Amino acid sequence: MPAGHGLRSRTRDLFSRPFRKKGYIPLTTYLRTYKIGDYVDIKVNGAVHKGMPHKFYHGRTGRVWNVTKRAIGVEVNKQVGNRIIRKRIHVRIEHVQPSRCNEDFRLRKIKNDQLKAEAKARGEKISTKRQPEGPKLGFMVEGATIETVTPIPYDVVNDLKGGY
Amino acid sequence: MVFVKAQKSKAYFKRYQVKFKRRREGKTDYRARIRLINQDKNKYNTPKYRLVVRFSNKDIVAQIVSATIAGDVVLAAAHAHELPRYGLEVGLTNYAAAYCTGLLLARRVLKMLEMDSEYEGNVEATGEDYSVEPAGERRPFRALLDVGLIRTTTGNRVFGALKGALDGGLDIPHSDKRFAGFSKDSKQLDVDVHRKYIYGGHVAAYMSTLMEDEPEKYQSHFSEYIKRGIEADNIEAMYKKVHAAIRADPTLKKPEKQPPKEHKRYNLKKLTYEERKARLIERLNALNSAAGDEDEDDE
Repeated sequence: MPAGHGLRSRTRDLFSRPFRKKGYIPLTTYLRTYKIGDYVDIKVNGAVHKGMPHKFYHGRTGRVWNVTKRAIGVEVNKQVGNRIIRKRIHVRIEHVQPSRCNEDFRLRKIKNDQLKAEAKARGEKISTKRQPEGPKLGFMVEGATIETVTPIPYDVVNDLKGGY
Repeated sequence: MVFVKAQKSKAYFKRYQVKFKRRREGKTDYRARIRLINQDKNKYNTPKYRLVVRFSNKDIVAQIVSATIAGDVVLAAAHAHELPRYGLEVGLTNYAAAYCTGLLLARRVLKMLEMDSEYEGNVEATGEDYSVEPAGERRPFRALLDVGLIRTTTGNRVFGALKGALDGGLDIPHSDKRFAGFSKDSKQLDVDVHRKYIYGGHVAAYMSTLMEDEPEKYQSHFSEYIKRGIEADNIEAMYKKVHAAIRADPTLKKPEKQPPKEHKRYNLKKLTYEERKARLIERLNALNSAAGDEDEDDE
């Protein structure tokens, strides 16, 4: 019999729950709220059978474009042939986690707004651009004693200590 | 049978998955909790309130709780041990007391949200099924009943508390199937029986039968009632007064907290890090000086 290509084919290990994490899923997944425009990671929870995305989307990150009663619409990029399509899927909340991919950006935004407001209060101009790490500065080597090492002439007697 | 090695091997422990802590303690039913807490995602951060009713051996706790990731937040709570303030001193865990606690909680919440004049609820407790009607600008306060782990049989005190909250003016989805007085045969709520339970009629009936048949048992069982001069006839009037008092002033009064008593210490107090270092230096000094003395003695 040929191997099938059904919806959940080849997902024996992918959709299985991790070791010692079976059973009821912790309630924070149900308490989280998602707004349109948030980034989310899709990670399938095999314990919940409804609203499962296709195995392709497991591990993908996308943006929320729709929020319904128990599910979220996520926009994910998929490469089809020679182009990348923005695919819109609906996934139940149990299979979605908030993504930290833009956490750094969000924190930087808040901090920059704060710095700019302070600078405005003081009346000076600042640049909040990130600078790449430059080459290390030059420095003087301090406190180094110089030890001159010279080779010693080969002494047969000393070197045959072990096996003589 | 004696020599059977029924051990739990190391492999057993390595593979054992513990249940959630509150499930191990037997306090939370997660299946029910998930369904009670789950809020529609397109309602975002709107809290979903649950009316939590729990019974202990001597007390009833009724709370309005909403869930957050940091932990559940209690909006308002009412305990049966507050009822002496309204004139009910005995029988604090019976059906009638549960009704009073539910009523107290409902009026307290509505007063806290300043909706108490709009939603009076059912002032005269008749025992028939009453649901709040939306009136005025604000819709009624909605909560869901959370029974916990009790068996939901007809006539359970939990539903007494539910009835109290409903008559107090909260909007709680329910059916009259489990109120005391619902008969399975006729599939109808017998309003008079339910009213009897709300006003402690079942307790009064038992009191009168015991007084006639077994006076000594009556003395021992209802000793607190007798001490306060409560007879089978004035039970209903007492509960009516309690309901009125609750509606008059449902605000929470915090009891005065005394500073904790000083107890005699039976074990040594643990020293702080600084104290331990100081002690070490003392001991070293003492050792050095003692060694110095010995050296001098030896020499």
